[in-house]
Amino acid sequence: MNFHGEDLRKIYRTGETEVHALRGVDLDIEAGEVLVLLGPSGSGKSTLLNILGGLDRPTSGLLTSGELDLTALDDAELTRFRRDRVGFIFQFYNLIPSLTAEENVRLVTDIAESPMDPARALDLVGLAERRDHYPAQLSGGEQQRVAVARAIAKQPGVLLCDEPTGALDSATGVRVLEALEAANRETGATLVIITHNAGIAAMADRVFHFLDGRIARIERNAVRTSPGKMTW
Amino acid sequence: MKALDRKLLRDLWHMRGQVLAIALVLAAATATFVLSMGVHRSLVETRDAYYARNAFAEVFAGLTRAPGSLVERVKAIPGVRKAEGGIIQYATLDFPGRPEPVRALINSVDENGRTELNKLTLRSGRLPQQGAAGEVVADESFVKANGLTLGSRITALIYGKQQVLTIVGTGLAPNYVYALPPGDILPDDRRFGIFWMGQKALEAATDRTEAINSLSLTLERDARVADVIRQLDALLEPYGGTGAYGREDHLSHAFLDNELVQLSAMTRVIPPVFLLVATFLVYIVLGRMIRTERTQIGLIKAFGYTNAEVGWHYLKFALAIAVVATVLGCVSGVWMGRAMTRIYAEYYRFPFLTYLLDPRVFLAAAGLSFGAAALGSLGGMRAALVLTPAVAMTAPPPPVYRRGLVERLGRRAGFSAVGHMIVRHIARWPGRAAITVFGVGLSVGLLFATTQFLDSSRAMLDGFFFRAQKQDLMVSFIEPRSEAALFALAQIPGVLRVEPSRAIAVRLSHGNRVERGAIESAPPDARLSAHIDIDGTEIELPASGLMLSRQLADKLGVRPGDRVWVEELGGRRSRQALPVARVIEEFVGERAYASEATLLAITRDAAPVGSALLRIDPARRDTILIRLKDMPMVLGVSERDTTFARFESMIDENINTMLAFYISFAGAIAVGVVYNSARILFSERAHELATMRVLGYHRREVATVLLGELALLVVMAVPLGCLLGNGLAQVMTAMFSSDLFRLPFAPEPASYGRAVLIVLAATAFTALLVVRRVMNLDMVRVLKGRD
Ligand SMILES: Nc1ncnc2c1ncn2[C@@H]1O[C@H](COP(=O)(O)OP(=O)(O)OP(=O)(O)O)[C@@H](O)[C@H]1O
Ligand SMILES: [Mg+2]
Repeated sequence: MNFHGEDLRKIYRTGETEVHALRGVDLDIEAGEVLVLLGPSGSGKSTLLNILGGLDRPTSGLLTSGELDLTALDDAELTRFRRDRVGFIFQFYNLIPSLTAEENVRLVTDIAESPMDPARALDLVGLAERRDHYPAQLSGGEQQRVAVARAIAKQPGVLLCDEPTGALDSATGVRVLEALEAANRETGATLVIITHNAGIAAMADRVFHFLDGRIARIERNAVRTSPGKMTW
Repeated sequence: MKALDRKLLRDLWHMRGQVLAIALVLAAATATFVLSMGVHRSLVETRDAYYARNAFAEVFAGLTRAPGSLVERVKAIPGVRKAEGGIIQYATLDFPGRPEPVRALINSVDENGRTELNKLTLRSGRLPQQGAAGEVVADESFVKANGLTLGSRITALIYGKQQVLTIVGTGLAPNYVYALPPGDILPDDRRFGIFWMGQKALEAATDRTEAINSLSLTLERDARVADVIRQLDALLEPYGGTGAYGREDHLSHAFLDNELVQLSAMTRVIPPVFLLVATFLVYIVLGRMIRTERTQIGLIKAFGYTNAEVGWHYLKFALAIAVVATVLGCVSGVWMGRAMTRIYAEYYRFPFLTYLLDPRVFLAAAGLSFGAAALGSLGGMRAALVLTPAVAMTAPPPPVYRRGLVERLGRRAGFSAVGHMIVRHIARWPGRAAITVFGVGLSVGLLFATTQFLDSSRAMLDGFFFRAQKQDLMVSFIEPRSEAALFALAQIPGVLRVEPSRAIAVRLSHGNRVERGAIESAPPDARLSAHIDIDGTEIELPASGLMLSRQLADKLGVRPGDRVWVEELGGRRSRQALPVARVIEEFVGERAYASEATLLAITRDAAPVGSALLRIDPARRDTILIRLKDMPMVLGVSERDTTFARFESMIDENINTMLAFYISFAGAIAVGVVYNSARILFSERAHELATMRVLGYHRREVATVLLGELALLVVMAVPLGCLLGNGLAQVMTAMFSSDLFRLPFAPEPASYGRAVLIVLAATAFTALLVVRRVMNLDMVRVLKGRD
């Protein structure tokens, strides 16, 4: 799934003060691309990701995905958009504690258009055996992999990940990234990853460097390094 | 302002919905308390002030005829402060076109307004003029009920002579707060009125020049009522005295007193139960609310605040709620108490109103609210305070879900992931679910326990009327009659059956306890009357000995098998000891019954017939009433159906008005509890719900998870609530019964339904509010934090 954005701005108003989270972002994301967003804290990465995923709306600017004009969608349509096309992964896994691993995945496949089998999604992240375990019975990394399985199970057009490895040690982080890359490889989903870890940038086709609400620099990797070979 | 205090204010504002809901629960209980304490006390004070201002007498006596000079001899009795003689005379009024007899009780009044006792308060017009024949002051309600005005003329039959009366004024007097028609058990403003006529005019009308037939007395402070009565009886014996009696046997006073006793029973039983239930609900609801603050408590402790500081912080939170509740409860309690007292004062026809409230009531109300809130918050904090900050800060230990029975059933039923979420959330925190279920159940129970009192009064009516009284008409005679009167009645075309109702006036005593009353009797084959026990069974009159109502038995301190002294008032004045054969549980009243044979044994010749019960052909009602009206021996006629209607409206106005307030407060408590439960449910799950939104679930679908759980909990609460309500109602009914009057426990199934429906409506309403929250859920914000 591709994105095209022009002059995206996001202004948060709280009372008198205005925070310019995005100050005019132009971007083109190609379908199937792997993208890493880097930048100092507060530079607007999460804001952009949320807008791409239809969790939030830009204050001004243009944003399309394929034939869809995301800025023109109403609330229900945005929900549909998320439901059918977007897979989210967050730093804190946001699993539902009362559901088993498989059921957490089913939470998504229950409503998706053409989902894969939940068992297969878990298999892809290497957790087939743990399908009947509750989040409380899984390690952080395993929980994050369930979150990945949950995100890819609907066969989304895009996977949006906000610091997916932020809470994990490097070995566990690598397993999560491998799962994400596998999903990108096998389903052709566009993959956008926010991270504070410059090492991860090696797995991207392109790296967006954020500064102060703008994309300051775009870097293109000649070759993608597979997560397994990365070190940090 | 300290940062922590700022947090307090912000939290209060942030949770204003819940804060208000808890305050509402407490306020409803407080208001019930304040309302009740105010109404009863004010009514008693108003009555006492009225009695004092109008010099309501303390001892009363009726006699056939005595010279006016007797009053001086009465005054000489030791202990008598004031005495006044007068004339009281029944009259028949002629309202053309009305078949039923209309009666008036005419009292003599000093034309110069110098009456010393039982003073008349003029409401409009003037007193009768000295010497002017036929001028009367009529009681206000009679005038209103019959559409009369000042200047209206009525033809009256007084002492066998026809006379035209002119209404020159309307008034009230303390001895007729309740004006009971002869032989009737309830006031009837349309058919019975109290008139006041000038002393001289009434003397002339009744051929009693310088003579009296009634006496009223007030006593010195240290006088003993029983002693005065004994001496008075001795003095009046030659003049046909019918037995002097004190206030407690004064018809109007006793009736009013009985009503106030009922009111006071209600105000003593219901508010404490409300307070108890509300305290408990606040304890659990507030406790649970503060438990959701666990991580914050950990955080504050991590900064270095002591347990005491944190505890005080949350205590202030609770106290703020208590302040709101106290103010709300006291203000609305006082406001409603005033309104309520006004309604009652009007109903009782008090000429003025004193609203009084002991300031200690406010203190008690505040204390109770504060106590409840403090307990609730401490309970909620305890768990968090004992933890180290680090542990408290992490989310509560991730739940370990197990597969239970529900689980397997759910799986078989093909539950979606959403279905699993609902069921497992409940199964995982059975404690929390139980608290919600219990809280909602308790409010269902409270509602039920309050509303079922409407059923009690209905059952009371049913027992008293439908089953105990089967006649169409009750005819009371001017003076007790012989059998001949019954034959005369039976001769009237359309009268299908006539049964005598015999009664003799007696003084009953046991040890040093004395009660004045009547022994009533019915023929052995009676079909028009029956004695119904409180549990609904029909009881036969004992072949020998007396049957006493529980209230009378308690007053005399007797049990079946004991003997009581029966002294006939009037007649031969015989005195003998009779055994108590049984005690009947009745709702109200102190009454004694005996078989006709026993009555005969007391009076030694056939006991006179005081009234007769008639079954009639309804098609001939009017002609029968007209015939009865023309019979000189007939004093009053009461129709069962209209009496029933009056009884019903009396209960409506009196008991049910108060109950309506209580029921609305119980409803408010239910709303408060359900709202809070739903809100807590929401805040516990906000994170999960936001996650679902992110995953692409529509708002509607997300709301289902929440509402599904709420619905499931409420559904579980319903049967529990009915059980709790039943228990609570029995306890409350039992508390009532320890008093002067008792209530049957006879809840209608519909009352359960009503309580459940109200709570379901409250749930639906709350659900709407909570769904709005789901609609406005800010996904991004929720997901930013980890909880
Ligand atoms: N709801 C909000 N209200 C006000 N300001 C906000 C809000 N959300 C974000 N901001 C501000 O917008 C700016 C961009 O925030 P954003 O979360 O996109 O940063 P980020 O690049 O993801 O930072 P980090 O790496 O720390 O996550 C920040 O200055 C932040 O304070
Ligand atoms: Mg961020």
